[in-house]
Amino acid sequence: MDYQEMEKKYLDLAGQVVEKAAKRGALAEAYITAGEELSIEVRDQQVEVLTTARDQGLGLRVICDHRVGFAFTTDFSPAALDACIEQALANARQATADEHNCLPARYPGYPSLDLWDPEITATPLEKKIELAKEIERQARAYDPRVKITESCSYNDSRYLVALANSRGITAAYHAANCGASTFVVAVENGESQTGFGLAYGLKFKNIDPARVGREGASKAVRMLGAKRVNTQRAAVVFDPYVATNFLGVIAPALTADAVQKGKSLFRGRVGQQVAAPVINLIDDGRRPDGIASSPFDGEGVPTGHTVLIEKGVLQCFLHNTYTAARDGVSSTGNGARGSFKTTPEVGTTNFYIEAGSRSPEEIIKEIPRGLYVTEVMGMHTANPISGDFSVGATGIWIEKGELTTPVRGVAIAGNIIGLLEAIDAVANDLTFFGAIGAPTIRIASMTISG
Amino acid sequence: MLLPEADLKAVLQAALQQGGDFAEIFLERRRTTSISCEENKIERVTSGLDQGAGIRVIAGESTAYGYSNDLSRESLIETAILVGKAVQSQPGPREINFTRPRSRVEFTIKKRPDRVPVEEKVELVRRVNDAARAVDRRITQVSVGYGDIIQEVTIANSDGILVDDERVRCRLVVNAVATDGKHIQTGYESAGGHQGWELFENVNPEEMARLAARRAVMMLEARPAPAGKMPVVMAGEAGGTMIHEACGHGLEADLVQKQLSVYAGKKGQKVAADIVTVIDDATIPGKYGSYSFDDEGTPGQKTVLIENGVLKEYMYDYLTARKEGRRSTGNGRRESYQDRPIPRMTNTYIAPGKDDAAAILRDTKYGLLVKRMGGGQVNTTNGDFVFDVAEGYLIQDGQIGPAVRGATLTGNGPEVLRIIDRVAGDLGFGLGICGKDGQGVPVGDAQPTIRIPELVVGGILDEGAKE
Repeated sequence: MDYQEMEKKYLDLAGQVVEKAAKRGALAEAYITAGEELSIEVRDQQVEVLTTARDQGLGLRVICDHRVGFAFTTDFSPAALDACIEQALANARQATADEHNCLPARYPGYPSLDLWDPEITATPLEKKIELAKEIERQARAYDPRVKITESCSYNDSRYLVALANSRGITAAYHAANCGASTFVVAVENGESQTGFGLAYGLKFKNIDPARVGREGASKAVRMLGAKRVNTQRAAVVFDPYVATNFLGVIAPALTADAVQKGKSLFRGRVGQQVAAPVINLIDDGRRPDGIASSPFDGEGVPTGHTVLIEKGVLQCFLHNTYTAARDGVSSTGNGARGSFKTTPEVGTTNFYIEAGSRSPEEIIKEIPRGLYVTEVMGMHTANPISGDFSVGATGIWIEKGELTTPVRGVAIAGNIIGLLEAIDAVANDLTFFGAIGAPTIRIASMTISG
Repeated sequence: MLLPEADLKAVLQAALQQGGDFAEIFLERRRTTSISCEENKIERVTSGLDQGAGIRVIAGESTAYGYSNDLSRESLIETAILVGKAVQSQPGPREINFTRPRSRVEFTIKKRPDRVPVEEKVELVRRVNDAARAVDRRITQVSVGYGDIIQEVTIANSDGILVDDERVRCRLVVNAVATDGKHIQTGYESAGGHQGWELFENVNPEEMARLAARRAVMMLEARPAPAGKMPVVMAGEAGGTMIHEACGHGLEADLVQKQLSVYAGKKGQKVAADIVTVIDDATIPGKYGSYSFDDEGTPGQKTVLIENGVLKEYMYDYLTARKEGRRSTGNGRRESYQDRPIPRMTNTYIAPGKDDAAAILRDTKYGLLVKRMGGGQVNTTNGDFVFDVAEGYLIQDGQIGPAVRGATLTGNGPEVLRIIDRVAGDLGFGLGICGKDGQGVPVGDAQPTIRIPELVVGGILDEGAKE
């Protein structure tokens, strides 16, 4: 696909739909995405599944008398688009009027970001297949006990976004991203343990199959022989992956939407200490090589760099156009869309805890007794409103500052706020897993149930 | 029918001309309505049309898959050629004669949701919102979500299967938030089924709202859950998350064949206590995981997975069945035309036993009573699972004691199945969206009241306590 050419075509189409809806007396916004995807799954050095795809969709938001209506379609025929307009207008009549419902006006410009790595498109399929196979070879070569490949894959996507609204915004961009991941199983004495490795980003050259493969293998092998420990309180260290799992639970509470609806733990706490002084928490919609980077958000507002927590003190919340109007502030460029099928809600972009200065080894060395957590299970059961969590955990026991034996089948529980306050060290190994990033973090004391 | 028979044949032949020994096309048109209410406002009313086709070609152990939104004959043939080329094998069969398999069940939808005016749906959502808010002054927020789906599919493959099917589902969820100035707690209820608007004759939406709100308020007063090993009684009304996680996933044939399940190679062996029988059944009328045909055109069926403790059967789709030279169990499902089918559960449950629920509780001196389960997760490779307790109580001297919050239960699937020592007769169903390989599908799950003599409860130790 020629994405420059397609951008023009779809911007025209978005403009036409907006114009038609506006003629009916509505404020209107059309959001189009279109793209291609490739996914390669390898097992035992054979291509098990190869998927290629093309898709497109249009989401239409209208506001009539301060009421929002929404409809979407993947069918771009004139009849389907007309039906979509009628549906959106009819839906608006059913919604409750809210004076803060509005669309953003035209912006003077958008940041120029490097989101298109031509190498992703130019690299031939055979080379991408070879990359996936190399991950598996590296995992197997790492240790003879790595015997089963659960999955080993490469994937990339190329897409464009075109957005037009009746207040003058017409904007488009195209982007590409790629990634690789593997889940492997190490087997010994009838026991099986899994480990994963992954890498995602905007640059093909940054996907290192050797690193991904060896990471998966080492994570699987080190869990062999895992045992339970007794129930106790002890220091706990989260590796970057586990830390990002917890960040995912905090994210909704930092949206103005949750605050305005009384569903945020952080409500009324701007300017207060909500986390340990070692914590700086940031949302950056323009981060270089950030998988969630874009020049504008799902409403056409320029993305930003927002410091949410600085030295443990809550600074502000994330906003889209609606929540900003309601609070009398400006949108932070966090009008997020899951896809063309949803209205823009408030959501994070590239969301991360800033790196500290010491290495993970140094912050582990100071622990007399504790658990280095490498995986949590059931994180989606944590309650983002109350902040209560209780998750299954696996990891490695720490004794006198050293990682010793693997541990599984234990649970850790607490409240997110208490956890944030109890963090007493942040390491320098900031790592992103998709759009969420964190370094290794240490919590002084937590209950470990075994 | 989403494409004429002659065109379906042409697409399949175009794919096989390039290579492969099996070709399949899955066409889908999905129309959805959703309504959300929060802060006493109808915030969003959304309708959507999502249509597309997925084409799959298999050659030996390799699969190629492609999808597109363009349902024109020319575009489908173009995709078919691309997909056929991708498997890199010899051209396959040319001759295709379609036959239409018969479903084992006829589901009747009494009142299709697209015949219900949107005003009536909005009115239902408002009523539910009002009912939840009326429960207690400490209810500070209520969100209500309604959704319906009409999914038309046409499935055709080079073995000659041709199926047209329509799946209709409605769902209602209510989430209540209670605040007392110090704590925030939530309560959640949901109802859904392979049903039309008649769903709301079978469940009382206002009563659901009140249940959710009462749970949120009660959790304000609940104490933190205890930590450590203890007996756990799971009420029949608790839902079936435990059996779904502890056992169901490990019996999906893809995981078994890849040696990623603790149940691999155990067919015919004793894997659970004598009193445990586990069933997966797509044919129960109206349940959330029910269907006439799976997403490969195989009729849905009832499969006994574990009978009196003995492992009888795994859940198969076309590809995993073909690898073993056997028939699919009708468990080949996909989220949409964008996904290739994989073995999935439908409605999975522990069959009712002969015990009495009240007696089980009475005979348990100390432990945790789970009255409602939340979500869960399993590591199928080693069988470890967790699930969340949405409503739980301490058991003291065979009586229901104080409510506890924030508990998660951690255990090992095979271990738990072996030690279950009581099974009552009071089967109750839960529902949810089950995620696997990035695909979400609607499922039902259930169990009667059961007792597990020992599970790890992940709670909180008192600050002062050590070891």
